Amino acid sequence: MTKVPELHYTPQMVPMPELPPEQEANRLHYLNHSYGIFSWLLTVDHKRIGLLYLVSASVFFLFGGLAVALVRLNLITPTGAILELDQYNKAFTAHGTIMLFLFLIPVIPGVLGNFLVPMMIGAKDMAFPKLNLLSWYVWMAGAMFFVWQLTVGGLDTGWTLYPPYSSKYSHTNVLYAGLGIFITGFSSILTAVNIIATIHKMRCPGMTWSRLPLFIWAMYATSLIQLLGTPVIAVTIILLATEKIFGVGIFDPALEGDPILFQHMFWFYSHPAVYIMILPGMGVINETITCFSRKNIFGYKAVAWSSVGIAVVGFLVWGHHMFLAGQGYYLGLLFSILTMLVAVPSAIKVFNWSATLFKGSISFEAPMMYTMGFLVLFTIGGVTGLYLGVLGSDIHLHDTYFVIAHFHFTMVGGMLMAWLAGLHFWWPKMTGKMYSDFWSRLAAVVAIVGFIMTFIPQFILGYNGMPRRYPNYAPEFQFLNILSTAGASIQGIGYLMPLFYLPASLFLGRKAGGNPWMATGLEWQVPSPPPMHNFDSTPVVYFGPYEYSMPNGLGQLEKAGMIFSDEESTIAHAGQSLPEVIRGS
Amino acid sequence: MAANTMADEPAPVAHHFNNMLQQQSTVRLGMWLFLVTEVLFFGGAFCAYTGYRIWFPKEFEAGSAALNVGIASVNTFLLLTSSLTCTLAIRSAYKGNQFGIKLWLLATIVLGTVFLSLKGREYHLDYEEGLIPTSKRIVIQEEQPDGTFISKERSLFAENVTKVLHKEGYDTTGVYMPRVQLFFVFYYVMTGLHVLHMIIGIGLLSWQLILAQMDFFRHSERYVYIEVMSLYWHFVDMVWMFLLPLLYFAGPHTLHQAIEQFKLALGIASGHH
Repeated sequence: MTKVPELHYTPQMVPMPELPPEQEANRLHYLNHSYGIFSWLLTVDHKRIGLLYLVSASVFFLFGGLAVALVRLNLITPTGAILELDQYNKAFTAHGTIMLFLFLIPVIPGVLGNFLVPMMIGAKDMAFPKLNLLSWYVWMAGAMFFVWQLTVGGLDTGWTLYPPYSSKYSHTNVLYAGLGIFITGFSSILTAVNIIATIHKMRCPGMTWSRLPLFIWAMYATSLIQLLGTPVIAVTIILLATEKIFGVGIFDPALEGDPILFQHMFWFYSHPAVYIMILPGMGVINETITCFSRKNIFGYKAVAWSSVGIAVVGFLVWGHHMFLAGQGYYLGLLFSILTMLVAVPSAIKVFNWSATLFKGSISFEAPMMYTMGFLVLFTIGGVTGLYLGVLGSDIHLHDTYFVIAHFHFTMVGGMLMAWLAGLHFWWPKMTGKMYSDFWSRLAAVVAIVGFIMTFIPQFILGYNGMPRRYPNYAPEFQFLNILSTAGASIQGIGYLMPLFYLPASLFLGRKAGGNPWMATGLEWQVPSPPPMHNFDSTPVVYFGPYEYSMPNGLGQLEKAGMIFSDEESTIAHAGQSLPEVIRGS
Repeated sequence: MAANTMADEPAPVAHHFNNMLQQQSTVRLGMWLFLVTEVLFFGGAFCAYTGYRIWFPKEFEAGSAALNVGIASVNTFLLLTSSLTCTLAIRSAYKGNQFGIKLWLLATIVLGTVFLSLKGREYHLDYEEGLIPTSKRIVIQEEQPDGTFISKERSLFAENVTKVLHKEGYDTTGVYMPRVQLFFVFYYVMTGLHVLHMIIGIGLLSWQLILAQMDFFRHSERYVYIEVMSLYWHFVDMVWMFLLPLLYFAGPHTLHQAIEQFKLALGIASGHH
């Protein structure tokens, strides 16, 4: 029988006892058990693979940022400040493709998903560790095609690859880029298979579906979309490549093909793909917002199922990208109504997060700063999305800067803020070191202020009729464009700052300890950095994931006469649920 | 064999699993999830095909009439049989019958390879008849009612496919040839992707055969690896069961025609004109 230790907070399990400092210094963990480049490149440890993703995704984020710096600089003058016309096309295409396929889609599943999914559910590793490593290599191989494509002259079709820009009239590297999308897609499918199998089969005893951290629910929904959507873009690219290589018409109207068919197939993946990008971010927000307001999540089931709801309804709305592309009138009407529907689960989440904050003891550490940024900016992004989902107003706003501002509010204001929140939240867990409090908060403020300054003017520009993707514009738009470029520069500084203070924390930061935020959740109950196989013995879970409002909960468990032993935890196999012990307070 | 002494020991469980049952069910789920992806992969192509078939029913019927339904029928028989032999390999592994595993895996590989050879022969016949989509154009001399000839430019593909269809006794009046070409593009893309999956499947089967030779399946718990590989094989089989009606049965074919076409494929045709 295990003696339940006295606790000041309520974890999901009995925490590992803190080691004395001299033993802690010699403790073996996943970072120091082996050294050398091959111990990283051939690792099958999900935590190390997560860090591989972290390094490579950060590099691609810089590439994508560099491309958009060129775009914004060029837009300072109405006639284009620095770039030729085709260079401008290549710059915004590079920004779009790199940010979407090499950063937004893989970053949270790759880094936080890999690192946290097994730890949060009490598993030793992902279900298929070798497949996990393979998916990083496949992703890097796909990324290399993008890099190659950029070095041999770039791509000018926009990230949407619409024919005939990408087939008949293309003189740039559509095939390399297509191959890059195809291969990185394969990687995201493998990651999705791994994550779903892990969540289904590797949960520790007592980790029932209603006790899963909501980050896990979000990752599950994300993986579902990756599994169902990605193959469709793969076959679309095969058809496009066939048309391009053999000169036969699949999407070419001159040869009886239908270009709208490409758009249908493309958006069947690419609209759900925006939920691949935002859902993991929403998952992160659940973890940070509960921790920094010291409260249980408001409406666990609603938040959990709204993730699945977004995944399902998200597959039925792709036609709202094509209101003006020549699809049928009634089809447009139908897609417009369905688009209203997909706003519902997102709104449920936002309302529940707000209710979670209500009367919480809120503290503003760096992760919470980014989280608050997410809440405000994502809400603006979501609401402006409705303007575009309504058939009538979209006719006015279609293909203007309003669209750009809308999806940057969701993708940057939403997803990127959530990613930075997650990175700052789990950085102490990953590295064992705490970063500078002052610089991290300052970076969050700079990024959020710069963001608002960049994209609010773009709403106005778009509403007044400035079209997207044009290097030239009417002179009266210049003031707002300069404002936007200035904002982008401030934003850029905000994103570059973590690049300095996070690595610096490895050398200068104080030791974080196992649970610096006093958070619940299994990953916080082990020392930082975590041991090689996460848990010395299989944990057993008796509580929901966010029992912040129940002080000394395990003491209550003891009073209730519930006894648990180490033997029990080793005989029970994952996914098996123990009898319902205690729910809530 | 040395392996017999080890046969009674339980198979080692991978480090991150608690027990064999968990490992087996995880491996099985992983393959099912991958197959979900595959369904959507082929599903995308099927949807695109279906769209065009609804728009151009006449041309897709004509395109289908020019296909070799004889080879396709025999291939269907081969592939269904290979699914049976594949399943027998699982049974052998489950029962610990080492010889059975190798026998049935080999049978599956052979059936799959014969399928691919016949498919290759079919592509070759299509190539000889000129049923390859192309943007090439040729100049033909067309006889006028008054006996004179005028030169006319025509698509090479249209010329070839008209020839084949007329040979089959198919009336091409009102059939717009660029749309027939679209049918053939889908025919090659879809069967090509299927062939690619079959090659991967045969690779997997061969790998299992090598493992069987190395006595990997001495632990009968490891039957699950043959099982998931066979799930993939059955899936490839299923895809063919959709391709067959979509592509080959869209146009009219007779049994006699099918038999003649198959004889032609084997090079024993006599009366084919």
